[in-house]
Amino acid sequence: MVKSKRFSSAVSSRSDLRLAYLFLTPAVLILLALTIYPLFYSVTVSLQSDSANGPHWSLANFQRLLSDNFFLSAMAHTFVYAASALICEFLLGLGLALMLNSRIRGRSIFRATLLVPMMLPAVVVGVVWRLMLNPNFGAINGTLKGFGVDTESLTWTASPRLALFSVIIVDIWQWTPFVFLVLLAGLQAIPQEPYEAARIDGSSRWQTFRYVTMPLLKPAILIALLLRTMDLLRVFDQIFILTEGGPGFATETISLYIYRTAFRFFDFGYAAAMSFVLLAITNVISVVYIRFLQARETT
Amino acid sequence: MAIWISFCLVLFTGCQRGGSDSSKQLTLAVNSGVEGDALKQAARDYEAQTGVHINIAEFPYANLFEKELIDLNSATGAYDLIMLDDPWFPRFAHKQFLTELTPMLQARGVQGPDPDFVQTSLALCRHPYQTGALYALPYVGNSQLFFYRHDLFEKYGLKEPATWQDTLAAAKTIQDKEGTSGNKTYGYVMRAAQGNAAVADFMPIFWAFGAEMFDASGKPTVNSPEAIAALKFMLELGKYSPPGYASFNADEVGAHLLQGTAAMSINWPAWITSFSDPAKSKVIGKMTFTTLPGAQKPGQAEIGNWLIAIPRGAKNADAAMDFLLWATSAKEMKRSALGGNPPTRRSLFIDAELVSKFPSYPAQLRSLETSKPRPRTPQWNEIENAFGIFLSKANSGELSAEDALNQANGEIEKILQRGQ
Repeated sequence: MVKSKRFSSAVSSRSDLRLAYLFLTPAVLILLALTIYPLFYSVTVSLQSDSANGPHWSLANFQRLLSDNFFLSAMAHTFVYAASALICEFLLGLGLALMLNSRIRGRSIFRATLLVPMMLPAVVVGVVWRLMLNPNFGAINGTLKGFGVDTESLTWTASPRLALFSVIIVDIWQWTPFVFLVLLAGLQAIPQEPYEAARIDGSSRWQTFRYVTMPLLKPAILIALLLRTMDLLRVFDQIFILTEGGPGFATETISLYIYRTAFRFFDFGYAAAMSFVLLAITNVISVVYIRFLQARETT
Repeated sequence: MAIWISFCLVLFTGCQRGGSDSSKQLTLAVNSGVEGDALKQAARDYEAQTGVHINIAEFPYANLFEKELIDLNSATGAYDLIMLDDPWFPRFAHKQFLTELTPMLQARGVQGPDPDFVQTSLALCRHPYQTGALYALPYVGNSQLFFYRHDLFEKYGLKEPATWQDTLAAAKTIQDKEGTSGNKTYGYVMRAAQGNAAVADFMPIFWAFGAEMFDASGKPTVNSPEAIAALKFMLELGKYSPPGYASFNADEVGAHLLQGTAAMSINWPAWITSFSDPAKSKVIGKMTFTTLPGAQKPGQAEIGNWLIAIPRGAKNADAAMDFLLWATSAKEMKRSALGGNPPTRRSLFIDAELVSKFPSYPAQLRSLETSKPRPRTPQWNEIENAFGIFLSKANSGELSAEDALNQANGEIEKILQRGQ
């Protein structure tokens, strides 16, 4: 109490206020130099194209987006990837959280083991799964062969039909624990009283889940879905290790294509334009989420 | 406080040293790998002999390109010498980026580069190709080779394949005979992962079938009838390649050959030494390395040399040139060759000591001298990427040969239009 009083009186004195600004200045300057400046710089880069007379202002980079088949299919892959992984991760994560929120035997061991995939770096996950999914020497086909399955056509990351499915499975394996963790924390924060009230009113287990658990879990669901969506839309590392976007173009997501455009083809303007489109889409989706869940909360 | 003062002292002395010796200091950008290791060793020796201090900036392959291009674009002078992979050269080679070497050679009393350099290697260092100004010297002389299991060929009475049709027939015979036992051996192994891998394995077939990537006016022709025939042949050969080869890179191909689960392949000389290493190889003494098969045209390998150039902004271009001439001299290059890097000098390919250590040198020299470069265009990275995507799509069964090449041709056309 004494401390905070002294603090507030100190801030109110004018010279100390100046000192406070002085101390803040370096941090603000660094932020400006390292974040704000590059952001605006990349806007200018995306709005310039090279010509014989040097760079000039134009919308060419953004116009090119619409006629670029690689960009459009990379976008499509990204959405399929994000939507399928998100749905599976959410349902699995919710199921696991509900199960491990009850008093089952050994739940602390289950909780700890479930978190292991999430703690591994994406590069390690990529390499491990790449080895496991190898059609000739990998553990998955080896095991299936042991059960007498014909694995000749199960080439996983080399098959145009199975490659996207394979990389989605890997994402689900790695990131379901995250959704689980957030939802479990949400479940544990729900007080017991509403449940007691529901029991007294004679509601069924489904009714309790639908009308008590879900509404109270909404903030946690929002956080889990929002963070996962943003992460899924910019997925890069494990796909880069697993398939590098192949076979052909089957698993190329937008981040991979942006990386290639910038650092392999050295076309920073076009890469910046694509990045801004991705940023805009991520923003729109996030706002929709927040609105949707808030609206549901008030009704 | 004491630590702080000593830190300042270190900084101060560090600056002083850098300042006074700057005329006798060079900075090299090298590839982290066996090629870069040889140049690093040469730099250490040079330092000991001449007292010129050499800093090494080492980068993995993918980063080296971007570091160098950023340096060249803004002439930062960060490097006095750069190692570069030959497909990057058309992007790097013009007056604003690199130093012309001929005037510097003339200042040293020689008219041009040593005629001992293999002509196909030296041609890569000129812009335009073969005829233009000299901007680099060749350091590592890689070109593709055809690898095959001579023990299996002898077992089934097969001759060394002279044509791609022979190769296909041999692949069929070997797989029919060896493909049923528990330890299956595939007839052939190729890599068709999108990008560099698929293109590198396809080009020798493509060229042998008489196809070219561009016509005389520079228009893409990757969907010509010859090209379609070549891709159809690649898909036929793919039937004798291990499943999933549409996602293979060099590592998977190497693993299949070393494990003895595939009988033939196109590969680079860097792999040769691992076949006699008992820790890695199950096929010691069973491999032959030779020149590539032909078809309508004689077989031609893709060349892939490492070159060394002096950036335009180099702070010590003259000292850099002295080191460049020293490192690419026959005596020094022999040391690099003993370390496993194919040389770029004819005299070293026929050097008795080297040939006894590397019996494939005569074949490598023939392959290098008849090799063909990837098309000399500054947009090669982008073109190779697009072409490789469609080759991979055809090999994974997503598209037919015609569709894949028609679409590839369209994409390459778009890339060229943007470059104009």
